[in-house]
Amino acid sequence: MFKHILLPSDGSPLSEAAMRKGIQFAKTINARVTGFCVGPELRHFVFDADIGPEFRKQAAAAVQAEVAKNLLAIKKAAKEAGVPCETAQEKSDQPYEAIIAAAQKGQCDLIIMASHGRRGVQGLLLGSETQKVLTHSKIPVLVYR
Amino acid sequence: MFKHILLPTDGSSLSHVAIQKGVQLAKAIKAKITGISVIPEQEYYLYQMQVRVKEETVKQHKVQANRNLSVIEKAAKDAGVPCDTFCEISDHPHEMITKVAEKIGCDLIMMASHGRRGVGALLIGSETEKVLTHSKIPVLVYR
Repeated sequence: MFKHILLPSDGSPLSEAAMRKGIQFAKTINARVTGFCVGPELRHFVFDADIGPEFRKQAAAAVQAEVAKNLLAIKKAAKEAGVPCETAQEKSDQPYEAIIAAAQKGQCDLIIMASHGRRGVQGLLLGSETQKVLTHSKIPVLVYR
Repeated sequence: MFKHILLPTDGSSLSHVAIQKGVQLAKAIKAKITGISVIPEQEYYLYQMQVRVKEETVKQHKVQANRNLSVIEKAAKDAGVPCDTFCEISDHPHEMITKVAEKIGCDLIMMASHGRRGVGALLIGSETEKVLTHSKIPVLVYR
């Protein structure tokens, strides 16, 4: 069945819950996982001359620390479950594009993600990045609530 | 893990692909499956035509739904996966799909990204999107 599952995470509680369930699922079907986290490009700083280089550096470091933390959580959960795990990260202001590209690059045959991420449950709608991944992905997507 | 997978079908070729994959997954993880086909209620016929016409279309829809469900039954039988099927009547398939999933205790819904209404531009199929929006149960979407 599925051999290689991409687990995109933004570190939100919902996405962490989906990540844990994804690892359980991988364990049952003997699949391996790749944890994936997308950090923002912070491009808007380019247009704002008042933001000094020092602050940009700090912001980039904070993003990197957050990404590393999310990936570490995936690695740890996979290790505890005994599921082979790699991690990857990307900088992009369009997370869904980066997620689909990572899935294709890693030849994943399933993407597992939460119905909502950091931006929360706005009304009853499906989360924005999840919606975009579903719209554009050629690979099956398992959506957790 | 997943013990009971719901496979909604509208008889479209994409939903047949999802059925095959769903049966494979059920076999791999030793789950049982339930197929469901939702046929339209078409209450508006009551106001426009004679009731008899409504009965006739419901009958035809049922024949089609049973044909769609037999695809699931056959795939499940070939794979040796325990299988049940339902035919329900509703003008809002997504409501019926999530309702049945909860009622019979499914822990996964597996469906195609698009159904009978086809690939409207690049968007995801309308019923699939509604199921995703309203379902509390995980949904696996097949392209």
